[in-house]
Amino acid sequence: MNAIVEFGGFGEMADWQAMLDRNRELFAAMDEGSRIGIVSREASGILPGKHLEGVQRAAEVDMLAWQVQGGGMQAVVERFSGMAMAKVDLLLVADAEALAAARADLAGEALTTIKKSIRRGNIMFFVFRNKAQLQDAGYEDFLESLGLAFLGACR
Amino acid sequence: MTTIAVARPGESKLKDLFKPGTVGKYTVKNRIKYGACCVSNYNGRDGTITPRELARVRVIAGTGCGMITNQGAYPDPWGEGKAYFRQVAIHDDKFLPQFEMIARYIHDAGAMAMQQILHAGRYGGIDLGYCIQPSVVPQTLPHFRPPREMTKEQIAVTVKQHADAAKRAIRAGFDATEITSFMGYLLANFNSRFTNQRTDEYGGSVQNRGRFMRELIDAIKQATPDNPLSVRLNGAELMDRWGGNTQDESFELMQQAVDCGVDMISVTVGWQEAPESSFGRDVAPGYWNFLSEKAKKMFPNVLVAFGNRLPDPAMADQCVRDNIFDYWEVCRPLLADPEMIHKAAEDRMEEVRPCIGSLNCLSRLFRDLPYTCTMNPMLGHEVEPEYHVTEATEKKRVMVIGAGPAGMEAAITARKRGHSVTVFDKADKIGGNLAAYAANDLARPADLQSVIDYYGVMAKKLGVEVRLNTEANAKFMRSVLHEYDACIVAAGARTDLESFKYMPGSELLIDALEVAHGMKTVGKRVVMIGGGMIGLTISEFLQKAGHEVTVVEKEKRVGGDIMPTFKWRHTAWVDELGIKTVCSAQLVKVTAEGATVATAKGGEQFIPCENVIVSSPRRANHDLFYEFQWMIDELHGGGDATVPRGLDAAIQEGYKLGVRI
Repeated sequence: MNAIVEFGGFGEMADWQAMLDRNRELFAAMDEGSRIGIVSREASGILPGKHLEGVQRAAEVDMLAWQVQGGGMQAVVERFSGMAMAKVDLLLVADAEALAAARADLAGEALTTIKKSIRRGNIMFFVFRNKAQLQDAGYEDFLESLGLAFLGACR
Repeated sequence: MTTIAVARPGESKLKDLFKPGTVGKYTVKNRIKYGACCVSNYNGRDGTITPRELARVRVIAGTGCGMITNQGAYPDPWGEGKAYFRQVAIHDDKFLPQFEMIARYIHDAGAMAMQQILHAGRYGGIDLGYCIQPSVVPQTLPHFRPPREMTKEQIAVTVKQHADAAKRAIRAGFDATEITSFMGYLLANFNSRFTNQRTDEYGGSVQNRGRFMRELIDAIKQATPDNPLSVRLNGAELMDRWGGNTQDESFELMQQAVDCGVDMISVTVGWQEAPESSFGRDVAPGYWNFLSEKAKKMFPNVLVAFGNRLPDPAMADQCVRDNIFDYWEVCRPLLADPEMIHKAAEDRMEEVRPCIGSLNCLSRLFRDLPYTCTMNPMLGHEVEPEYHVTEATEKKRVMVIGAGPAGMEAAITARKRGHSVTVFDKADKIGGNLAAYAANDLARPADLQSVIDYYGVMAKKLGVEVRLNTEANAKFMRSVLHEYDACIVAAGARTDLESFKYMPGSELLIDALEVAHGMKTVGKRVVMIGGGMIGLTISEFLQKAGHEVTVVEKEKRVGGDIMPTFKWRHTAWVDELGIKTVCSAQLVKVTAEGATVATAKGGEQFIPCENVIVSSPRRANHDLFYEFQWMIDELHGGGDATVPRGLDAAIQEGYKLGVRI
C-alpha cells in the first residue's frame, strides 16, 4: 500500500476556479471528461531521475485536477496514487517553488507563470494521450498556451 | 606523367579544413563530414529509396565533403525504429540495390561513404501507435507515441538488427557505419537517466546504462571488423533539469564508447524534447564548441566530429587548427547551398547562399512532409528537370518590380538562364521589407541581413541591373514601354490600413512597416495591432528598447504565422520581455489617449498608449497587375505581391518564375 502524504499546498480551490473561469476560452473546445492533473513533486515522490517509479507508484497524495464538467473547467482536489488510477490526459509535476509561484499569481497570469516554470524545469510535464487524441479532445489551445510544442520540437 | 594538384585559393586559406585525413584504413580528402542531420522524407512508406531520393543524394555526393553520411535508416522490420513518415529502411536485402547506387555516387565523387543506422526508440513507431524504450517513461511531447518497455530478448534482437544493418551497408559498398543517439533516439534512451530507469543490468549506474551502447558497438565491430564505426553521442542532452544526464555523465558514456574501440565520436547537443535551443537561430555560431573541445581533450586518440550551430567554413578551419575537432560535421548549410564547400575552396564565400537557421527543414518533417529549405528552392526537386536552371530558348528583356527576396531570386535565376534583367525598387537599397525585419530581429540580425547581402553579390556578379529610388507605376511603365518583354511584379505586401478607414481615430494609426524601416518613431506606451511574425518582431524590439508594448491579436493566440520550430522562441520573448497580449480582440477606436478594443467576452477594453501601430492585416500589392496588364507582353507575380506570406514562399516563388520565364 502506498504511503499517504498530506499536502495542503494547493491553497483555496475557489482561487483556482476563478483563474480557470477567467481563461475559459482556452478550454472551450475540450471534450467533457478531459482531465489535467497537478501534483507536488516533493509530496508525490515523482522526482527527476526517479520519475517513472513516481508516476507508477506515487505516494498517495493530493492531486489538483482540472476537469471539464458541465461545459466548463472545474478545479477539484482528489487523491493521486499513480497514473493507473489518476486517469488524467496530462500530468504536471510541480516543485514547491513552482506551486508557490502559481498560487501567488492565481489572480493574475497563473498560466504564464506555469509556462515559465515548465521551461525552467520546475514543472515536469507528461502526456498520456497522443497528438490525434489530444487534438480531437480540443487540447491544442491549452497546450499552445503553455508553450508546449504540439509537434516535435527540434530547435 | 605526374599530375600535380594545385590548391584552389580558398584551400590555401582554409588549409586545415582542406587537408586530408584518415579514418581507419581510408584516406579522406578533407576534414569535412556531411552529417546525416535530416531525414528527407522523400522515400516510400515501406522504406524503399525513391528516384527523388537518389537525385538528391547525387547532389549531396557532389558537395565536396571528404566523407558523406547517408541519412539514418531504421534497422527493424516492424518499424519500431522508424521515426519519420518516409524514412529509409535497411532491415532487408531487398533494399540493397538503391544503397549500392548511393555508395557508388559517393565514391564517384571521391568521398568516403558512411551509412547511419537510426533506431528512433522513444521517437519511433510512427506507423505503430507505440514506441519502445528501456523504460516506460511517458512522453513529454504529444507528437510521439506511448512507450513499451523493451525486454532483454528485444534488446538482444535489436542489437543483432543493428549489426545486420551495418553488414548490409558494407555489402552495399559503404566504407563505414554510424549509430546515433541524436536527438533522443534509442541509443540516447538507454544512455540517459531520463528514459532509462531499469533495475536490471541495463539500468541504474552509468556503466549499466551504457551497456546497450557497448553491446551495439561490439556487435557492429564484430560484424564489420574492417570498417570504421562512428557513434553520435550527446555532449549535453539539455534534459538534466528533468532528470536526464549531466554533462559529466555524457562524457563518461563517451569514454565507454572509446574504450569499446569506436573510430569516431560525433559530439551532438540536445534532445527533441529539451526545453532549450541547440541549433536554432537564437544560438550564436560556435556556442557549443566547448563540448567538442572537451571531447577532443579527453579522447586525443579518437577522431572527433562536430558541427552543431557551426555554419561557417572559416570557423571550422580554425577549430581543426585549434584541435577542437578533427572533422567538421556539416549538413544544414549544405542544404541551403550544396556548392558551399566548392565556393569555400575557390575563395568565393560571399557567393554562398546562407543557412539562416530557420529550421524550415525540421518544421516540415514533424508535419510528415518532405523537407525543404527556406533558402534553397531546388531542394527536393532535383529529380524534376523543370526545376533546373537551363539556358532560355528565347532570351528576353525582363523587368522585376521589387528588390525583396522574391524579386531578387527571380532576377538572378532568370539572369543565369541568359535573360537580360533589370530590377526596380523605390527604396534606396535592396532587401525590401526583409531589411526592416532584419533590423528588428532579436535573434541574429546578421542571419537575415546575410540573405540580402547574398542577393547583392549575386546580382553584381551576374550582371543584373538594379535601379533603386525608382517607383514603378503606370507613368513609369509608359516611359519604358516596349523596352521589356516580361515583367515580374514582386512588390511585396503592405499593411492594410484601409480596413480601419471607418474606425474612429483611424488617422492616428501608424504603419508597422514604417516603424520597422525607421521612418517613424513612437512614444513610450504602444499598442501593436497584430500578433503575427511582423507584429511580434517589432514589439519585441520596441519592448527591449524600453517601450511598453501591448499586442492585440484577433485570433486566440499570437504567433499563428510563425514556423513551429521558432514560434516557441517568440512566445518565450513575449514572456521574458513582459509584453502584454490581448487575444481574441479587435481594435474599435483610437484617441490621443489610447486604444479601445472589443474583446471576445463582448465587452470593451481601453488600453492607454501614445501610439497604435498596425501590423495586420496585410494586403498584397496587386495594383500594378491591373495597371500593367495592357502594357507588356508577359506579366507575372510572385511572393507577397500575390499572397502575403513569409521568406520561404517569397524565395520559392521567385525561383520558380526565374526558371520558367
